Amino acid sequence: MLKQHDYSCEKDCFQKIKVENAVGLTLGHDITEVRPGEYKGPAFRKGYKVQESDLCHLMRLGKRHLYVLDLNENQVHEDEAVIELANALAGPGVTFEARPREGKIQLIAAYDGLIKVQVDPLTEFNLIPDVMCASIHNNTPVKKSRRLAGTRAIPLVIERDILDQAVSLATASFPIFAVKAFNAVSARLIITGNEVYEGLIEDRFEAIISRKLAAYGSTLAETVILPDDQDQISSTVRRFLEMDTDLIITTGGMSVDPNDVTRLGIQSAGVDRVHYGAAVLPGAMFLLAYKENTPIVGIPACGLYHPTTIFDLILPRLLAGERPNARDLARLAHGGLCLDCATCRYPACSFGKI
Amino acid sequence: MQDFETLLKGSAEAHGHLCPGQVVGVRMAMLGCELIELDNPRQLPQIKKIIVYVEIDRCATDAIAYVTGVKLGRRSLKFIDNGIMAATFVNLETDRAFRIRSTEKSRELAAEYAPEIRDKHLQQLEAYKRMPTDLLFKIQAVDVKIPIHNMPGPTRFKATCRNCGTVVRDKKDVYQNGKILCRSCAFGAYYELSKEKNANIKNKNL
Repeated sequence: MLKQHDYSCEKDCFQKIKVENAVGLTLGHDITEVRPGEYKGPAFRKGYKVQESDLCHLMRLGKRHLYVLDLNENQVHEDEAVIELANALAGPGVTFEARPREGKIQLIAAYDGLIKVQVDPLTEFNLIPDVMCASIHNNTPVKKSRRLAGTRAIPLVIERDILDQAVSLATASFPIFAVKAFNAVSARLIITGNEVYEGLIEDRFEAIISRKLAAYGSTLAETVILPDDQDQISSTVRRFLEMDTDLIITTGGMSVDPNDVTRLGIQSAGVDRVHYGAAVLPGAMFLLAYKENTPIVGIPACGLYHPTTIFDLILPRLLAGERPNARDLARLAHGGLCLDCATCRYPACSFGKI
Repeated sequence: MQDFETLLKGSAEAHGHLCPGQVVGVRMAMLGCELIELDNPRQLPQIKKIIVYVEIDRCATDAIAYVTGVKLGRRSLKFIDNGIMAATFVNLETDRAFRIRSTEKSRELAAEYAPEIRDKHLQQLEAYKRMPTDLLFKIQAVDVKIPIHNMPGPTRFKATCRNCGTVVRDKKDVYQNGKILCRSCAFGAYYELSKEKNANIKNKNL
């Protein structure tokens, strides 16, 4: 994005002065100290107010002149500004580094969860001159301490009214960034298919579902294997709904084969709403239904063969307490194509990113 | 910084007894301070420059806190419940940080370094005083990024639990199912409420 910067302001803010005259003034740059084989790093940081006791140290470092910042009351140093920006951007579950590095601050997850980004306000924020914020994608599952976004004031010195404008925008749309904690749920699984029920093939779904739930701290309370029988599937869904079940998962039977009756079994179990089909590959025949607040998920056979499917996009949202609707499922279209890479790198890829 | 014996005496008094853990803790803290170049961390201005992460809540932790002056209430002492005899010393001004772990080998070598002492407790105590640093400790240079909500200084963040109304400070709140909650309401508490006992409190019949 092209922005206009008032670089003349930046130049005017610097003064080159003798070290002995710098007491009480603010350093315009880091001063590095090198002790061979022992230490290399900043002895004094940009923005530091020079003290009388620092003069000898500065002289030892060979400094005879310094660039100091001479800010007027309408100007804010980038390190102070970025703290204000981060504070306004970081909602619940989002914290940030205590100290800016190279004028930037990284926003980080305070705990495991699902990052929520208000994309439109974030865009508006970035239309304000001299500030920026870049983030990872909305709805990405994140671990504690994971970097979520980076923000900075672009010039070394920012005008107070521009900073206030950015902070006001972020505050009005608060929270632009939040992390929703996952609920540790107790799920029940119905594996459908005559071939599994009759022992012709061994089930592999249970291990996959169990592993994917465990990644978010949830567990499988019960697994049943059923034939492709609508009534049995329906009655089992009803039984699970009457029990202490947070999430019901079914596998198989979602296609158009005459034996594929799992969808019918769920529909006839008295659910409130059913969304069948989603704009995701793999996962076009995915089903998402709700009975009151309890989700019922129908995973098509692709869940066996592809390491990552629509289930991986929807599960974290369900565990974060969200109840995606038909529009949410349709919205997955942009980014909903898995490229079937030889080695799955999800979530470090475009799949499911909107 | 005071000498080892003076610090050990003070640490033992503060902790309540002299033990091998005190020796390990005092030596670890002195080494940690040396590595991050703080020679007087218990007093201003250095008291504001140090943070120590301890990974165990045993005797050595008290010694580390005594030598360095770090305190939970000052937010300069951080407890990471790993069950490992280790601590990380951070200089906030320079960002230098070192993690020091007590080695298991030092326990095996105790007899070698204090062979004249039969009592195991006393033998460890003396051996840990004599043992070279490289046998007693494993040292790692580390990078610790401390988020703003864990820094010392005034409270910057407050939130109110939508469930119980308690104010939660320092970003320890949890955003769950569309509500800001305290950790107890979100994940369960470490205690259970007793209706009977609480009724007694209400009636001032403790």
